[in-house]
Amino acid sequence: MSTALKVRLEQLLAQFEGARVTRKNARRIRVDVGSDALPGLLELLQGHASYVHLSAISCIDWIEAQQFELVYHLWSYETRTLVSAHTRIAREPGVYLSVYDLYRPAAFFERDIHEMFGVYFEGSPDMEKFILTEWDGPPPMRKDFDSEAFVNQTFSWEQYRPQWLKDLEEEGGGISIRPEDIRP
Amino acid sequence: MRPENYQAISQPPSNEFELNIGPNHPGIEGNYAIKLKLNGDRILEARADGGYLHRGFEKLMEGRLWIQNITLVPRICVPDPVPMEVCYSLAVEELGGLEVPERAQWIRVLQLEMSRLAAHLFTFGGHAATTGQYSTMYWGIADRDLILDRFEELSGGRVYHMFNIPGGVRRDLPDGFLERLSSLLDYLESRLPDYDNLFFTNQVFVTRSRGIGTMTQEQALQWGVTGPNLRATGLAFDVRRDDPYLVYDQLEFEIPTEDAGDALARNLVRRAELRQSIHILRQVIARLPSIGGAIRCPIPNPLAWNVPAGEAYTRVESSKGELAYYVVSAGGDKPYRVHVRGPSSMHAVQVLENLITGARIEDVGQIMFSLDACPPEVDR
Repeated sequence: MSTALKVRLEQLLAQFEGARVTRKNARRIRVDVGSDALPGLLELLQGHASYVHLSAISCIDWIEAQQFELVYHLWSYETRTLVSAHTRIAREPGVYLSVYDLYRPAAFFERDIHEMFGVYFEGSPDMEKFILTEWDGPPPMRKDFDSEAFVNQTFSWEQYRPQWLKDLEEEGGGISIRPEDIRP
Repeated sequence: MRPENYQAISQPPSNEFELNIGPNHPGIEGNYAIKLKLNGDRILEARADGGYLHRGFEKLMEGRLWIQNITLVPRICVPDPVPMEVCYSLAVEELGGLEVPERAQWIRVLQLEMSRLAAHLFTFGGHAATTGQYSTMYWGIADRDLILDRFEELSGGRVYHMFNIPGGVRRDLPDGFLERLSSLLDYLESRLPDYDNLFFTNQVFVTRSRGIGTMTQEQALQWGVTGPNLRATGLAFDVRRDDPYLVYDQLEFEIPTEDAGDALARNLVRRAELRQSIHILRQVIARLPSIGGAIRCPIPNPLAWNVPAGEAYTRVESSKGELAYYVVSAGGDKPYRVHVRGPSSMHAVQVLENLITGARIEDVGQIMFSLDACPPEVDR
């Protein structure tokens, strides 16, 4: 069964126009497809090649190319191989299609990516905030969000002078970042 | 109050009300909340509410050197930190083209199974507490502490070890470590019948947990369930066997399964896994003395180590299920992106919401603990 399924995967990927297949090792296959072809590819992989487990959806912000890369990691319990389907979408407006119809776990990953990167998934059941409920700044996992600069703007080290810190400084110690060391 | 003065309060128009459980409550291993809509004691709707343990690890890791991140990753899951270190290290090794020496691989398996034992003792102790049996919890925590003693001897740290680094492990085993671990395993094995008597065959636990939080294998596959929760629905899937890493393909072990898919079955799978982990550790103890050689391969100067550009998706079987790291390098001295796929991000959100809808309020704690979700893994 397993060999037959592997052959079927090869045939399926060969037929799929525009898909670039890289076999990384015996159990890892990388497929690069265009953003309009990806949902169709996932449907085929799930329906005809036993890739029923969506392990994760990862998002990478390629800010220089002004693109988001979305990676769908799919595992087959039968062939014991993992297909990573890569696609890229434009960073602006950062909208893509949900694959929730195919894979229920997508709901969590899409919600997470929306919260952290600001990518909106059309058709996803829930795009509400989950982790950053009280955050109204930009999506923090984007490369143009500098968390260190945010901390320096938001918090004042000068005002943070508790007694225990003064005691420590009298003994020659202190916090590692002193006001004069803060980068502008 | 005299009876003649008694006046019944008027009935509210509906019996529905909302209840917040958490973020501090004993139903889960960390800060996590769940918002319930109830009719009487029946749950109509449930909404998981995370974010109380968000520390922004994925963002922090982009700003730190490859090697510095080893101090961050174990903190992503407090009860079971070793799989985090190993999974991250495996990804960096794949990117950097490093060959981990065989001895280091065996030492890693040793720690992974010790960590699994410690995590399972923690979990069913916690589950017992949700049924009011605090003795099991105290026993579990006390026995887990003995495993932490061995971790302390090995690495200097009880909870966070930071012992696995890209390329291998930090140090070799201390003299006499394997003998002390072996006698600890003898002790733990002798405790298993006690745990059976106290907890696993205890009618308070069995009757209370049978038939609650039930999911079928089809539902489990659909919801992305992995680990003991999936094996409790009858599917023998284990990353250690089916997507082997380190030296697991040289070890003999069984993959325990149960068919019922309820809270009881999930605990019984973990109970059987205790025995399997002890079995694996005994094999490692027998093999390790004959495997010599280095404990890590040479790596470039870690302060100026530019890991070649590329991407790696590595998976390990943690005590909670399939743990995966997706690590992307752009050729710099820091990761370009690290994505942590914790098994609990499925179990604590979608699965939990689905399982407790329709359940009764008194079963919520049990269903939550039987899923063994780890909130810091969800929040990251």
